[in-house]
Formats: sequence, structure tokens, C-alpha cells
Amino acid sequence: MPSLLLVMFILQTVLHIINTVGASTINELLWILYNKLPTPTSSSAQRAQTLKREIIRLKRELATTSPQDNFSTWAKLDRQHNKATAEYQKLDASLRTHQQTFTSTISTLRWLGTQGARFILQMWFAKTPMFWIPAGWVPYYAEWILSFPRAPLGSVSINVWGIACASMLGLVSEAVAASYVLATKQPVPVGGKGEPMAFSASAEKSEKAGVEREKEL
Amino acid sequence: MEPTLQSIIDQKSLRWIFVGGKGGVGKTTTSCSLAIQLAKHRKKVLLISTDPAHNLSDAFNQKFGKDARLVDGFDNLFAMEIDPNGSIQDLLAQGGESAEESMAALGGMGNMMQDLAFSIPGVDEAMSFAEVLKQVKSTSYEVIIFDTAPTGHTLRFLQFPTVMEKALAKISQLSRQFGPMLNGFLGAGGQLPNGQNIDELIQKMEALQSTISEVNVQFKNPDMTTFVCVCISEFLSLYETERMIQELNSYEIDTHSIVVNQLLFPKKDNPCEQCNARRKMQKKYLDQIGDLYEDFNVVKMPLLTDEVRGKDRLEMFSEMLVKPYQPPE
Repeated sequence: MPSLLLVMFILQTVLHIINTVGASTINELLWILYNKLPTPTSSSAQRAQTLKREIIRLKRELATTSPQDNFSTWAKLDRQHNKATAEYQKLDASLRTHQQTFTSTISTLRWLGTQGARFILQMWFAKTPMFWIPAGWVPYYAEWILSFPRAPLGSVSINVWGIACASMLGLVSEAVAASYVLATKQPVPVGGKGEPMAFSASAEKSEKAGVEREKEL
Repeated sequence: MEPTLQSIIDQKSLRWIFVGGKGGVGKTTTSCSLAIQLAKHRKKVLLISTDPAHNLSDAFNQKFGKDARLVDGFDNLFAMEIDPNGSIQDLLAQGGESAEESMAALGGMGNMMQDLAFSIPGVDEAMSFAEVLKQVKSTSYEVIIFDTAPTGHTLRFLQFPTVMEKALAKISQLSRQFGPMLNGFLGAGGQLPNGQNIDELIQKMEALQSTISEVNVQFKNPDMTTFVCVCISEFLSLYETERMIQELNSYEIDTHSIVVNQLLFPKKDNPCEQCNARRKMQKKYLDQIGDLYEDFNVVKMPLLTDEVRGKDRLEMFSEMLVKPYQPPE
């Protein structure tokens, strides 16, 4: 059993990631991964993908073939297209129902693994101190809050530790996102009022020359 | 595949033959000719026109009605014309006075119901279908040829058994569930306004459904039913034919013959510019047909110099369905 502190921290990290990325995105990602594995739906998913590509190819070919000049070629393409479309629709419908069951199962599992686990841990270890604060560091009311709801006075409770982890993660991720933006995006130069604008001398010269030339004309 | 309809004539198990295509391509001429050829090899043949614009009478120069009538000059070929619109009026008239009384009792409702009945899509086809079934059940024809209405109409007519089956299954299920309750409302007799009993009505519907599903099975059996596509060698006609064949495939109705009508065969030294140009165009689409419908019997029929009307001309024309036309050099 790893340290309870670490477990709670990891749990909060996972929750944070799910909240930032979005549950539906994760569901779709998992669905794609699930179909990559040798699962019962993987073959039909692959078939649907190839059919989709086939349909697009046939559509393009149909558009370039003139039915008036090459009726038999066109009609053969049209038949293939209709066949592929019908098969694709059938596959797609069955895949969709599979995906729905998959999504609901995954959602339940995810909830149990994160929110559910957090609740259980918080209930189970409500009376366990995470760590002790040296006596006299904080006043009594702060100690009382830190040990809320049921941990012994003078210690930090699991709930408070969880909240602390969550807020830290929030701050850190914001900092990371901000620094990433700073590092990658070029700041847009905005000239303030009254600030001298710099032009290269050569540009000015050529402009002047242009004006003069115009005058000459 | 051989360029004749001999295979249809040889296939003795065939019971239903549909002839269809775009308007004005010679469906009626083709169906009459096919009927004449079949009459030579079958005991009793019935030719039915479900086209609202009836042409059978024109083709045979003889008036036909909604009862099967012997065609002049034949002893085993019968023909009838079904008027899709007339059937409803007939049905209402059949109710006789009692129906009219009940309509009067309902006040304005009666007329409203009538309008409603007319406006249901596919009801005219339904009526003609019922008419056909009635005729076919009572007499034993060896083969029945349908001269159908232009494309869209035909397909709805063919699709009808499937649609009707679904609807009737729903209705009879509903009435079985709510029937007892309705009967409770209406009293012990369970009388409806026009003097019918609910149970009787349901029984009638179920009988109709069983007939329809029986015919539906027959339509989907390639040994019993086939569809002859008629077209001319032009783009739109070809396009419609292709669409029709695809749709027939989706209904699982067999089709393996195409009749190409109105082909021009001008002589080599023909000075007629239009004829030669047209021949060139027809040749182009004929090649496409040959390419696309390799496994079909493609029958090439020439454009004649006179109208194909009357028994003798039709007989002459029908010969070309079984013996390929040899164009003059």
C-alpha cells in the first residue's frame, strides 16, 4: 500500500486531467483505442473506415465521369457507390449502438475510479491523520479547520489534503499553460500613443525618391 | 445472353410478368406483343393495364373494361384495364344505400371521410391491387402480364405489398388489443355505423393480409415473377432504366430482360441527315447498354414506318421479340 498522501494526490491529478481535457474527448479517445485492440467491434470499425474512404473516392470519380458520354462506367460506379453507402450506413448504425454501451460503461467505471474512490477514501480514512503539524505553528481555529471533519486535532485530515492537492494542481497547470503561451506565441507589438515609430532609413529614401520621381512626371 | 425474350416464353413456371419503363417508350406495344407470343405457348393469358392512361384499347382497337375480356381473334388471350381512380368510387358505391344512409347520419363527416380516403397516398394502387387479386383468385390464368404506368408509379405499386403488410400487422394487433373494449362501448352487437361488426372487419383485414403476403412471396420468387424493362436508346431513358433495375433489386424482384425500342436502321446510302445522326447517337447508347447489362437479354426492336396497332401488326411486331430483327444492309 503506497502512502495515502500519494494516492490522494494521484487521484486529484487524474480528476484534474479529466476535467481539463473533457470527459467526452476521453471517451472518444478510449473508443478509438478500444477499436485498435483485437476487440469484437474492431473489425467492423476498420471496415467502416475503409468504406468511408471508398465512398469518398467513388463520389469523386462519379463527379469526374460524365454519365452522357460514359454511361456504363458511370452506372457501374453508381452501383458501387450505392452498395458501399448502404453497407456503411448499416455498419455505422450497429457501431453507434456499440459505442453507446461502451461509453456508458466507461463513464461508470471512470466515476467509480475517481469520484467514487475519493468518496470512499474520505469516508474510510476520515479519522486518520495525514501528517502532524508541530504544535503551536498555527492557532487553534486553524488547527480545527485543518483537521476537519473528524481527524484528531493537530493533524491534517484527508479532505483538507485533497483540497490542497486540487488547488495546487490548478495553480501549477495554469502556470504551465501561461508559460507555454509565453514561450510559443510572439507578442504582438502595439505602439503606444506618442511613442516614436521606427522606420529604416533606406525605406524613407526610396519613398522620397518615389515622390520626386512623381514630381518629375 | 441471347437478344430475345425466348427465355421468358420457355420459363413455364412464370406467373407474373411486369412490363415497365419511362412514358412513351412503347411499353404497351411491348406488353401486347409479349402477351401474343405467350398466348401461343400457354393455355390462358391475362393482360392487365394499370396505367391510368389506358392504351390497351388503342393497341388492339377494341374496348376493354375492368373485367377480363377476350381479345378479338384469340381464344386464350384476355385483357383488362384497371382505373385506379374508379376503384374507390366503385367501392363506395358497393356499400349501396346503407352506406349512403350512414354517411347521411354522420352529416358532414361522411364527405370528409370520403375526401380523406381519396387523399391517402397509394390508395389508388391499393384498390387496383385488390381488384387484380379478386380477378386472379377467381379464374385460373397461367400467366398474367402487367402493362404498368410510367416508372415512379410502377415501383410504388410493386412496393405496396410490403407496405401494406406492415400497416395491416399494426392495425390487426391494435384492434386485437382494443377490440374488446370497443365492443363494450358499442354494445353486445358491436355494430359500427355502416352495419359492420368489428370482429368481421378484422377478419376481413387479416384475410386480405394473408392474400397479400402470399402474392408478395410470389413476386419475390424469380421462378414466378419477372420484370421486363422497356427503354429507348437515349440518355434519360437509360438513366431511368438503371434506376429502376437498382430499385427492383432492392425489392428483390427478378429482372433479366431489356427491350430497346424505336431503333433506327438507315441504309448505308441513306441521304437523311437526321436519321444518320440519330443512328449514331443510338449506337453510342446501345454500346453502353451492351457493356453495362452483360447478363441481361437485350432485345433490339426497330422503329417501324407505321403505327403498331391492331392484331396483325402486333403479331408481326411480336415475332421480332423471339427472332432478332435483321437490319437491311
